[in-house]
Amino acid sequence: MSLCRYLPTPSDRMAVMWTLLTVKDAVVLEYGPAGTTHYCVSLFGAMGISPDQTLFTTHMSEDDVIMGDVQRLERAIVELDQSYHPKVIFVIASAVTSVIGTDLVGVCSYMQDQVDARLIAMENGGFRGDYTIGLRQAYTMLARELSGAEAGPLPGRYNVLGASASSYRIRSDLWEIEDLMSRSFGLVQHTALGVDSSLAELASMGGARVNLVLRAEALPAARYLQEQFGTPYFYGVPYGYNGTRGWLAGVGALLSRPVAQEVLDQLQERESQAATFRMYASMYQNKPHRPAAAIVGDYDMIQGMAAMCRDLDFETDLLLCPHTLKDIESPDPNVRHFTTEKEQLDALRSLEYHLVLADDVSLHVCGKTNTGVCVSFPLVSHVQIANHLPLMGIRGTDYLLETVDRYYQVLE
Amino acid sequence: MDGQTLVSRMKRLGEVKSIKEVTQLSSAIFPGPHCPLMGAMMAVRGIKDSIMLVIGTDECTYYTKNTTISNAAFGGIDGRCLSVVLDQHDVTFGCKEKLDAAFQELMEEYRPRAVFLVTTCVVEVIGDDVDSMAEQLQEKYGIHIMPVHTEHFKTENHLPGVRDTITACFDMMKKQPVTDRVNVIGQRMGDFTTTELYRMLCQSGISLGMKLPSGTTVSEIEQAPGAKVNIVVNPIGLPLAQKMQKAFGTPYVLFDKYIDPDRIYGLYQELFSCLERPVPQEVQTLYQRAKQAVTEARSRLEGITYIYGNTPIDCFEYNAFMVKLGMRPLLIQTNDLPPEGDPNRQAILDRWDPYVTKTANIAPLQYVYDVLRPNLYLGHEYATRLRKKGIEIVHGDIMSPMLGLEVTLAGVSELIRASDAARQLREERKAI
Repeated sequence: MSLCRYLPTPSDRMAVMWTLLTVKDAVVLEYGPAGTTHYCVSLFGAMGISPDQTLFTTHMSEDDVIMGDVQRLERAIVELDQSYHPKVIFVIASAVTSVIGTDLVGVCSYMQDQVDARLIAMENGGFRGDYTIGLRQAYTMLARELSGAEAGPLPGRYNVLGASASSYRIRSDLWEIEDLMSRSFGLVQHTALGVDSSLAELASMGGARVNLVLRAEALPAARYLQEQFGTPYFYGVPYGYNGTRGWLAGVGALLSRPVAQEVLDQLQERESQAATFRMYASMYQNKPHRPAAAIVGDYDMIQGMAAMCRDLDFETDLLLCPHTLKDIESPDPNVRHFTTEKEQLDALRSLEYHLVLADDVSLHVCGKTNTGVCVSFPLVSHVQIANHLPLMGIRGTDYLLETVDRYYQVLE
Repeated sequence: MDGQTLVSRMKRLGEVKSIKEVTQLSSAIFPGPHCPLMGAMMAVRGIKDSIMLVIGTDECTYYTKNTTISNAAFGGIDGRCLSVVLDQHDVTFGCKEKLDAAFQELMEEYRPRAVFLVTTCVVEVIGDDVDSMAEQLQEKYGIHIMPVHTEHFKTENHLPGVRDTITACFDMMKKQPVTDRVNVIGQRMGDFTTTELYRMLCQSGISLGMKLPSGTTVSEIEQAPGAKVNIVVNPIGLPLAQKMQKAFGTPYVLFDKYIDPDRIYGLYQELFSCLERPVPQEVQTLYQRAKQAVTEARSRLEGITYIYGNTPIDCFEYNAFMVKLGMRPLLIQTNDLPPEGDPNRQAILDRWDPYVTKTANIAPLQYVYDVLRPNLYLGHEYATRLRKKGIEIVHGDIMSPMLGLEVTLAGVSELIRASDAARQLREERKAI
């Protein structure tokens, strides 16, 4: 990347922070200059994360940087342990401590004897890559270090792996999944790693009946949990009516249980109603602008929404991922990741008469002939408040189809 | 967290000689002070046709853009806060190659008159010579390019970032013929044209030149040496004013946001003397009114205790003023300490010896309230949470856009309101 005009892609460290801050009964301690901590509060607020009494920083002086003095960190660890009695303290590096090579793992190792809290170091200073690298590491660490089966088997429960506070409407999506899982299979959520989990839930998550993996970054954690506790996992995201049916069928096959007829009937009814949109698509085949969609967001979201668009007979001629695809197993060649912002902007600015499912910045950049809806991060004019307005599942598709309808009203 | 332990760790004002001796309330802090990068952002925001180019990690550049993205003064989402994002390669081999490429794109797309190259912690740690890069770019493109260094590990808060950005503007200035106008340097919040001081200047036929950083242009900065006087409304403007005095002979008056009416009146006299004009009659009237308000406030404020957090007014001047009114400081949070012998510091110590600690650490402060049990808290806090502990908050932000004797009138009025409310809270708690 050279010049960045808008928001850069968040780093691994940022994702580690926003993931670990959602773990209840633990605290996060940053070892670095305090300004970063103060600066990040508004972003976390927009994600629906409150850092009050859970996020702390040590600050650093020039002496600490030059001499590599870690006494400030040692004192902060002891103080947090004695003052707040957390069960776990996540000690996170900063860009500065990464560059000067502070051995956080070593500090946590020798400090462990002096505190009751479990110390876990995360040496992500923001140079390992984008946020997907951080998510992968955070999910894997949580599974490896903190998961267990303390409460024994939890036959009526499932875990969600791969939810992230950075996904727009994630809490609503979890609510929708909960509804689908409950009505289809009678299962309820045990914990959602990365959005809504506690140390106690992590310690018993190994007993769940199934793990639902919503994004590729959580696959290593899912595989570990399968090896360790024998918990099967299903990888996929329920977007679109057809996609939701397929997702439920996949989960059902894993559970060896049929999907409840009531849910299948509901999906059938909705699909019949949505047939109108396929008819519109055929009517537009010979018009100046054929129905086409552009999707910008995380890889798994793109895959799910692109399938939904194809079900509506839309072309999906621009699928853009802000994050690296190098860790995606057999990535779809149609999904592109540009290494410079300029290439991405050029691609977005070239769009005309498209349905654009994207983030606030991408939507802003697209020309006015396009019809857009916010489905991904970063957010500028949206905030994460609602818990009942999903993008996934039946209700999510209902909502997205309202935008499709609006699109047809302006398509020439 | 044990409040008694926290209090026992703090030093008294009389025990400390420099800010380095003032300890944090705790080693683990939240939210912590803002960094100079944010200070630089606040300063560039007010220079309309300039660009801020942040050189740093994804995180520093993300948060800076995110903070400006809804800000109309920055131009919103398409605004003039841009960045060069560094990765592992740049940290190892330096940022010059990437900066050069980014700058070319910037010049093609934005055609600015001035660019601030703002570094961050990592750039300073690896020792990239951004000053030389700025010189080379200035030579190549023929526009003003000013490096600003914002490493947070060398500073206490964001103010050095504001200070260094406005000081860097000196390089844009050119010698000018002097006319009857003033520059306003160092105003961080509010609009100068809404202040009492501005009204008094207008009454005397004095016009405004550069308002840095509260709202100016590159042209106004270039022509700033044509002003008769520089009014420095915050100490962050002093380095620039001193450089201008040395280079162009422009005198300056430090007219900070003070609250003591005698001090403010004295500054009016000094300023109008520099302007070779009489002090406007309205200043006399306001001075008398402010003196009367202070006299009447004494009986209402005598014995009121408080913790001082962060306000727009000069910290030690405000505390000395409140001590003069009979109030008692229990704890002063500050990131700057005047030297021994400073009259305000001495005025406080003559009556009380409060605890001192650094600002922006409200998490452990909750436990200190239960030990010190003040009537008032001056600064940013959660008012409802404080009231549950019998403490009333004093809203200082109402004075942010003020300069002159209006600060005294508004400040005293707010202290009386809060003190009355605090007494009522105590009564209600007793009744329970």
